[in-house]
Amino acid sequence: MDDRPHKAHRPAQSGAKAEKKNKGKGKEKQHGFNEKAFAPKSGRRADRQGRRNVERDQTRLHVPLVNRTPDDEPPPVIIAIVGPPGVGKTTLLKSLVRRYTKQILNDVKGPVTVVSGKKRRLTFIECNNDLNSMIDIGKIADLVLLMIDGSFGFEMETFEFLNILQSHGFPKVIGILSHLDLIKKAATLRSTKKALKKRFWTEIYQGAKLFYLSGVLNGRYPDTEIMNLSRFISVMKFRPLVFRNSHPYLLADRLEDLTPRELVRTSKGKCDRTVTVYGYVRGTNLRQGHKVYIPGVGDLDMQSIAVLGDPCPLPNENSEKKRKLSEKKKLLIHAPMSDVGGVMYDKDAVWVNVPGSFTRGNKDVPQGEGEQMVMDLQDVNNTLEDAVAKSQIRLFGTSSKTLTVEDDKGSISGEKSDDEEYNDEEDEEDEEDGEDEEDEEDEEDEEEEVDEDNDDDDGDIPRDARNTGRTTHRKIMRTVPSSSKKEREDVEYADSDSDFGEDDVDEEDRRVRFSGEDQDQDIPSDEEAEAISEGEEGESIPKWKLNLSERAQKSTSLSRKARVKDWTKLIYSTNLTPEEIVGDKKEDDLKEGDNMEMDEDDFFQIKKTSSDNAEELDMSNDPVDPEELKKWEDEDMLESIRHLFITGGDVDAEQGDGGLNEQGVDADVDENESNEDGNVPKPSSSDPESARAAALAARKEALKRKFDEQYDDPESSKLDFYTEKKDEMARQLALNRAEFEGVDAESRAIVEGYRPGSYVRIELANVPAELIENFDPTYPIIVGGLLSTEERFGYIQVRIKRHRWYTKTLKTNDPLIFSLGWRRFQTIPIYSLDDHSIRMRMLKYTPEHMHCYATFYGPVSLPNTGFCAFNSLSGDTPGFRVTATGVVLDIDRSVKIVKKLKLTGVPYKIFKNTAFVRDMFSSALEVAKFEGANIRTVSGIRGQVKKALPKPDGAFRATFEDKVLMSDIIFLRAWYSIQPRKFYNPVTSLLLSNKADWTGMRLTGQIRRDEGIKTPLDVNSTYKRIERAPRRFNPLIVPKKLQASLPYASKPKLMKPQQNQTYLQKRAVVMEPEEKKAVALLQQIRALRKDQMVRRKEKKVEKKAERQKKLAKEEERKGEKEKERRKDAMRAAGQKSKREADMEDGRGRSKRRKT
Amino acid sequence: MVHTASLVNFSGHQHLRHRLVLAILTGKHIRIDKIRSEDKNPGLRDFEISLLRLLEKITNGTIIEISVTGTAILLKPGIIFGGVLQHDCPKSRSIGYFLEPIIMLAPFAKRPVQLTLKGITTDEHDLSADLLRTVTLPHLQLFGISNGLELRIKKRGAPPEGGGEVQFLCPIVKQLKTLNFVDPGKVKRIRGIAHAVRVNPQFSNRMIEASRSILNRYIPDIYLYSDVYKGDESGKSPGYALSLLAESTTSVIHCAEAVSEPGVAPEDIGLKATRQLLAEVNKGGCVDRKHQILVIMFMVLGSEDVGRCRMGEPTPRTIQFLRDVQTFFGTSFKIVADSSLPGCSQLLYSCYGTGYVNANRTLA
Repeated sequence: MDDRPHKAHRPAQSGAKAEKKNKGKGKEKQHGFNEKAFAPKSGRRADRQGRRNVERDQTRLHVPLVNRTPDDEPPPVIIAIVGPPGVGKTTLLKSLVRRYTKQILNDVKGPVTVVSGKKRRLTFIECNNDLNSMIDIGKIADLVLLMIDGSFGFEMETFEFLNILQSHGFPKVIGILSHLDLIKKAATLRSTKKALKKRFWTEIYQGAKLFYLSGVLNGRYPDTEIMNLSRFISVMKFRPLVFRNSHPYLLADRLEDLTPRELVRTSKGKCDRTVTVYGYVRGTNLRQGHKVYIPGVGDLDMQSIAVLGDPCPLPNENSEKKRKLSEKKKLLIHAPMSDVGGVMYDKDAVWVNVPGSFTRGNKDVPQGEGEQMVMDLQDVNNTLEDAVAKSQIRLFGTSSKTLTVEDDKGSISGEKSDDEEYNDEEDEEDEEDGEDEEDEEDEEDEEEEVDEDNDDDDGDIPRDARNTGRTTHRKIMRTVPSSSKKEREDVEYADSDSDFGEDDVDEEDRRVRFSGEDQDQDIPSDEEAEAISEGEEGESIPKWKLNLSERAQKSTSLSRKARVKDWTKLIYSTNLTPEEIVGDKKEDDLKEGDNMEMDEDDFFQIKKTSSDNAEELDMSNDPVDPEELKKWEDEDMLESIRHLFITGGDVDAEQGDGGLNEQGVDADVDENESNEDGNVPKPSSSDPESARAAALAARKEALKRKFDEQYDDPESSKLDFYTEKKDEMARQLALNRAEFEGVDAESRAIVEGYRPGSYVRIELANVPAELIENFDPTYPIIVGGLLSTEERFGYIQVRIKRHRWYTKTLKTNDPLIFSLGWRRFQTIPIYSLDDHSIRMRMLKYTPEHMHCYATFYGPVSLPNTGFCAFNSLSGDTPGFRVTATGVVLDIDRSVKIVKKLKLTGVPYKIFKNTAFVRDMFSSALEVAKFEGANIRTVSGIRGQVKKALPKPDGAFRATFEDKVLMSDIIFLRAWYSIQPRKFYNPVTSLLLSNKADWTGMRLTGQIRRDEGIKTPLDVNSTYKRIERAPRRFNPLIVPKKLQASLPYASKPKLMKPQQNQTYLQKRAVVMEPEEKKAVALLQQIRALRKDQMVRRKEKKVEKKAERQKKLAKEEERKGEKEKERRKDAMRAAGQKSKREADMEDGRGRSKRRKT
Repeated sequence: MVHTASLVNFSGHQHLRHRLVLAILTGKHIRIDKIRSEDKNPGLRDFEISLLRLLEKITNGTIIEISVTGTAILLKPGIIFGGVLQHDCPKSRSIGYFLEPIIMLAPFAKRPVQLTLKGITTDEHDLSADLLRTVTLPHLQLFGISNGLELRIKKRGAPPEGGGEVQFLCPIVKQLKTLNFVDPGKVKRIRGIAHAVRVNPQFSNRMIEASRSILNRYIPDIYLYSDVYKGDESGKSPGYALSLLAESTTSVIHCAEAVSEPGVAPEDIGLKATRQLLAEVNKGGCVDRKHQILVIMFMVLGSEDVGRCRMGEPTPRTIQFLRDVQTFFGTSFKIVADSSLPGCSQLLYSCYGTGYVNANRTLA
């Protein structure tokens, strides 16, 4: 009516209305939780609510899993940033690194480790768009930051990655939407967010966290958004994943080639390399002697493991104190392959990034550590040789300490000369490595090195020929002092010395002790020998019996007190035979043994059995020594062990068995407590009375506690299954920690391996040269430990399902790439299905929407391990690449898969129920094999193979339940067993220069297509028209005699066709005139009608043609419109891609949609 | 990359059984040479060949190559299969010789093992069927192998002719429990089985009487059964034996056995067994000397936690076994004198389990 715009509503800011509204709001806030609102209205409802709460409680519970990662010093959490190219992964990584360390990385390569809190370190790693990398990253990432381009939506790689995650144990995933600033309209933005979130939730779980990042500022994401994200990361809890909880692994953050340069040169770089990788141990304890697998390379042997100083340690009390002094230390970052602080390590060069124009004298430009060092290097005037000649050298001007060399070694020049150049290099590299740490540490390293040199010289340890220069020095770099090699040797010397001391004591004791097993090996001491000889002579009252009990007691107590052998050492690090160990060896012998084991690398060798004990039996019953048993004839001896029985009581408690007794009784009370008691070392019972009192008090205390517990709350002592299991695990973990607490690092590593969280250096032998030659830090290198079973090969049966997004079916005997355990490999599966639990029947193709079995040859994985499979890993494969997923069921050395085989034959002679059949077999032997087999005709008559006939070859006699016809085809249904092909082809993508284009075995069709070969055509296989001759039946002939005797009804009514003409045929017809007229009229009418129909038809055709024309016209018009529309769409898309390209160019970064 | 399972080399005929067991469990190829190469009668003995046959039966895909002279063997282990099996043991060794390695393998088979062994049930070299049943099998229960674990002595057979028959039933497990067995407790009961076949049945009573004369002083809870087998079930040769076991409050079992010898009175046999038992009890520990290897084996195979056990000093066999375990598994033990008890010859063995999982077990 009136076109004035309506006034917008303005809510009252003041007055009664506003107050009322505000009051309402405030009230709600004040009250918070309204109890009444949620109170159940009725009893039934309360019951239901209660039940629901309990149910919800149960859903919270998960199967308790042991977390093998120690809580005190866990390895850094691996955070993988995954997404399609150009989505902003590097930007996010840089932003996050800047948030944690206030450093800007320009060239991010490989993992970046930062300290994020008191108890947490993070390792960021960016995953490139290669499927191989995605698979590897998916196996190790603890948290995945899945980046999605908000302006574009999900891409195929994202879904592929999620499917990979699903089959290898799902780590935590946070989705991140980027490029949201490209969506200009608010409504579109909102709807896009909503749609993407919905899709994301269906893929992960309802309520999965999705982050939104708006535009890029200064090459980074906005600080507030990054801060929010980092907060989410910092509170994230991780549930242990089953596979990672049973395998040790590490993500290598550095890789070095230790092969002697000379060897590389002479072999033109083709020789197998010795390579060290560095990283934090994760998962379970890493142990020496196991094999490792590097995905993309293969199975490798670990030559040595060494713990290094943590390059990125967690803050502790000391470091916190230090922090105030130097602000630098707060921002720890460890990224050896990136350019931290402007220094970047290449394979054989170090690049220093200098901002602005750089001149030497320029003091305005702040000089970083790297620049300083290079300038120092340039300043060095003398060669190292000159410097060594002086008693004191300063490597660089800035070095605060001087290197000291003891001057007594002048004669080693010959040895040194070839070491020299290595040393030079060495020092240089040392500097480089130590860069991110503080100076002091650097110098310590150097000092150690020099020390090491000296040690090498004066302690005449035979130097390994290969072990020149580099290798030896490398070992001690960044090493924890206790685990360095030199230290180890020292410790060993010291230990063996103490050993000798103990054995001395032992020697003395043996004068008093007498135990039968000792006598036959040792030279008995004088007293003992006398005693024995006398005992043998005086048969009536053996002298050894006289004061037997006292001596027995004495011996036991003495042997208990002073006989301390270091069993671990004796067993594991000497060459003594077991018999020698048991019957204490003499000191000098021991020494000899110890000397022998100096070549400690393989200190554990099997002693050759001497021929004299060739008749010794491998038996579990030890031979009984009758002498030893004789002492049990003595009454006192019998009495002396009374305390070992429950009736013994505490009478013998004074005899140093107080602890034992106490334990025994405690055990009845509470097993756990007694175990704990057992752990606590008893105070040495100098005063047995007080010790006894203390024991009694402890027992009383325990009983009291127990009583209180039961009296106060009898329910509390009963735990439900879940808590019980959790407690049990916690107890075991506490025990694990406590058991090796006091043991030194060296022997601890031998017994329990290298714990997760320690930074180690692993030396790998026989690494393919291509790994080094074609090393690319953007591809992750994972070292996965293998269990002993996983080194084996066998047939693996899996349950498999074709992925519903993969469009083709899978065919038996087509190669497939599996990602199973740590491994990626190509193999040839045979699909099968269980046929009524009778047999495994081969399938030619995988069924639709159904699981089936697949069996293939390959490395064994434990049952219940998930896997995913691919047909091709290359990036240019159209469509979804995850072909199938499944789980391992069974492992065996033989398989029983059968396929149906139908043998057909034809009868050539038929008796009543017997027929002679030919063309089924080719020889009598074959027939013999199938005697008794069931056969059948097509019409369903069942029968049996009986016996071969002499002629023709392969014919046999068969009986049937009814008479068969000559025209019947007889078939035999048999099962033919097939074996999967023994084909295993590991995906060695890391060895290629272009890592993305690994190709495995191709299909025959693919090869033909690639090579342009035509498919060979077998003439017999061509399809031809089947010509079936019409079946001719002979006339039924009933013998005349029979016919005569038949009743009339049954007689064949056979009559000859009529020969002579019929009555009508013989006559001519003459019509009357009226009749003629009528006939003529009818004829005319018919003619007219015919004509009419023809004309009508013509008209119809005409009309139809006209209509067709009209329709075509309309179609054309519609087509035009469609064309127009498409043009528009293409233009828009083109603009978008152009814009993106521009943007990328602007950001100076590479490849959007390049793959 | 060439994939060849690692080969472990040994020499000498001794410790053959546990080396074969370790090889089969780890799947490493094993080569043993110089088997009695210096002997007048060189090469493998009939019982060793028989053992190899038995191992071949219980596994699938095992390849055993024996050199022409029989002084070297190469074993490429397959997977442990199990199932219903039967084996005739030669008369040179008793059933215990064959059953001990099988007990270590059977829990990790694909199918529950149901093995019938025929031969000598009791002799002086190996654990007798009685001890295996009453002592060895309870040791397996410590590791969570209990349901359906059984040894049935169908017939007894004394050396030299044998004629006995036992049936061993063993369930399969996924993973062994970690052992924490440090409290020896006190002996609370003593049990024993005396049997006499093809001799005067009074012999077993005489052994029991002799034994009781010593044991009665300690505890009242003593039951010594005399086990009677008649006719065909009593084997082909005469013989008698007494096996004793002492169980403590924490179910520590110590055992001893004495077997009939020519010209020795049954009373003396009874006394011998009893004194051996007392010696064993006096040695202390949670596991007796005969079962050290079994317990250590299963401790190594446990989950990746610290297992502890208190035992006496290792026997030479145990020491060699510990060394072999290190070769195969890379696991070594921490062996220390028991610090909780000042002056005690017992040792605490602790190790970090390898987390061995029965990979042969079929899922679903």
